[in-house]
Amino acid sequence: MIRNTRMKRLSIASVAVTVGALVFSSLPAQAADPGVTSREIKLGYSGPLTGSAGLVYGKLPGAMKAYFDHINAKGGVNGRKIKLVSRDDKYLPTLAATQTTNLVLNDKVFALVGALGTATHSKAYVAASLAKKNVPDLFVNTGFSGFANKGKYPTTFTILPSYAMEAKIMAKFIKDTPTLAPQASFLIAQDDEFGVDGVNGFKLAGHKFAAAPTLYPQGGLSAALAEGALTKLSAVPGKPVLVLFGTTDTTATILKAAEKLSLVSKFTWIAGSVGGDANTLLALGVKPATINGALAASFFPDAKDATDPYVKAFMKINTKYNKGVTFDNVVLQGMNSAMLTVQALRAAGKNLTRAGLIKAIETKGANFASAGLVPLNYSATSRVGYNGYWFGQLNEKGELKPFGGKLSVYTTDSSSNTAPTASSYERKPVPKNGVPRNS
Amino acid sequence: MLKFDTSRKRLFGFLFLGWILLILSDRIGELRQYQGAFVAMYALAIASIILLTGYSGQLSLGHSALMAVGAYAGALSINNLKLHPAIALVIAALIAGLFGLLLGYAAARLSGPYLAGTTLALAVSLPTIANQFPILGGEQGLIFDIGVPPARLGEDFSLYQWFFWISSLTALIMIWLLVNLISTRYGREFRALRDNPIAAQLSGINIGRKKAVAFSLSAGIAGLAGGLLVMLISGVSPSAFPLSLSFLLLAGAVVTGVYSLKGVILGALVLVAIPEIAESVVSRIGGSEGFVTSLPGFMVSALLILTVLFAPSGPGHLLHHKKHLKH
Repeated sequence: MIRNTRMKRLSIASVAVTVGALVFSSLPAQAADPGVTSREIKLGYSGPLTGSAGLVYGKLPGAMKAYFDHINAKGGVNGRKIKLVSRDDKYLPTLAATQTTNLVLNDKVFALVGALGTATHSKAYVAASLAKKNVPDLFVNTGFSGFANKGKYPTTFTILPSYAMEAKIMAKFIKDTPTLAPQASFLIAQDDEFGVDGVNGFKLAGHKFAAAPTLYPQGGLSAALAEGALTKLSAVPGKPVLVLFGTTDTTATILKAAEKLSLVSKFTWIAGSVGGDANTLLALGVKPATINGALAASFFPDAKDATDPYVKAFMKINTKYNKGVTFDNVVLQGMNSAMLTVQALRAAGKNLTRAGLIKAIETKGANFASAGLVPLNYSATSRVGYNGYWFGQLNEKGELKPFGGKLSVYTTDSSSNTAPTASSYERKPVPKNGVPRNS
Repeated sequence: MLKFDTSRKRLFGFLFLGWILLILSDRIGELRQYQGAFVAMYALAIASIILLTGYSGQLSLGHSALMAVGAYAGALSINNLKLHPAIALVIAALIAGLFGLLLGYAAARLSGPYLAGTTLALAVSLPTIANQFPILGGEQGLIFDIGVPPARLGEDFSLYQWFFWISSLTALIMIWLLVNLISTRYGREFRALRDNPIAAQLSGINIGRKKAVAFSLSAGIAGLAGGLLVMLISGVSPSAFPLSLSFLLLAGAVVTGVYSLKGVILGALVLVAIPEIAESVVSRIGGSEGFVTSLPGFMVSALLILTVLFAPSGPGHLLHHKKHLKH
């Protein structure tokens, strides 16, 4: 009897456990994505903090963290504080792969934000299985148009206009400027997807350089090589236009070589948006007189223009939360990316998921408030942020003033040979106290 | 009672180690699997340096360039010839070995600082060389994609576990072959070459040829390690093989003990673990950004000094020595 009762109890218990298991297994999965709790959202950054690239771009995570600290002090996003974990990849692909993998597997970040570098991030993306794990890869700081390929990089959103767009707009600027159009033009570019994207952009625009582009490996343009290239070009009659399509440290190397050879006034200098940050050029030892008159493309307001509402708001945050760091284009870029991230997190709602965050940028990202003077281009089919440029002229103080005294913004795409068009875009006002309230 | 000769014991030792690693791969997380794959790759690269420097007495300061040769050969095999990744890794070793043989013959007349200088020049010039040939993909380089793990291994079998298996198996097989090789006539000839080249020559050893063979073998193993490295980072580019990698591997070889393969995993483990230990130290005691970035370098330097002071032949040799003292 006892045995039978035991069997009965056991049977009832088994049925209860089985039914319970079936009920629980039929419920929708409630497992939250890593890196997000009711009180915190953990984000990750991998980029150069040390080395020559670190000297220029090392300020980026600090600027993002300063903005997040500002938001945290105002209550965070939907009650969650944002924590940014930064890792140094020294601008090396191997380290970028391991550090990004560390961010995802070890630090268990919810999303990546502001990753920098084409050669580094393209490898890190695959190595860290970002696509498979559906890790949002927000506002990547590269203009390489390949990252816009949603099939290959399904979780990536870039922020910079593509280098091909920049080259197309540069070509139009040279063609439309009477003092530049008749002169012979030359291109010195970094030999990676960055420079090659640019070369392709010039081809799409139908621009003919007077000679084949001078290409050099990233970080591989020594002072001697720069002097050799400039000496060769100095024989060209007139005032040739020299387009520099590389990082800021390389632009500095070339300009210092021109100073040494007394060739600064021989050329009209055009620096791309990546390599034309005046503050960094001056910090790297380029003379103020050298940059005076140089032309540069930008999609941001000038970081020295304290009358710009966005610059003013970010400068205030920088003074409070990023003590001792000079406000420049890199800091502006970092804070702007952080502000876009906050808006994306808000737009994704209280029930924050990785898929929800990606969807929120696709559907609402084009309407986010941003410091950029050109429109944001996010949609279900477009992963590219800004899609245009304006041209300015640097003065001795390193201020970038609109060329000809009037701001002219042009927008374009990366792949067609359609000419860039003038844009009448007006950005949204800066959020009150620098805190977005979108939903 | 069963009696095993040394080579059988060694084979069983490696099989046992492989079995342990196989079990371990199921019980560690994805991050440890990924790090484990790096340890195996570094162990192989360090073994190639120990073969060259410790056994044949030649010094290379540009082993990263030899790794790059293998890595590019492997990537081109996958991308252009559409070969299976396993065959691509074999080709990586063969092409790097062939390159090493040519370089070895050229360098056979050189020794000491001159050979070191030649290999150093090779490593320095690698980015420029890679940029001269469009087929190598310039600064951005080439994709090295081995695809997803076979479906029969199950849905839960991650890419990192797949990396761990490939790296560990390759390293185990190659180091086993290497250990067997150095206990044969070739190993004795290499050591004779290292200890006294004139005496070796008087004994009938063709010094130039043996040097070239040693260089070729070392380059082949380095090329295979290069193939594994770019498999782990999904692509090959000049910046994946900086000069600092050559010095890092040399540091790993010194920690291992350049005259013995016994502690090769220890040397590799140190290279992978040091940044993590540094990070853990910093998170516990805090510190400035400068402290954070310079601590791993400082720890490697301190370890090198301690090794040279207390275990100049490597920790493996030290253990061996203690064991003998007990008897």
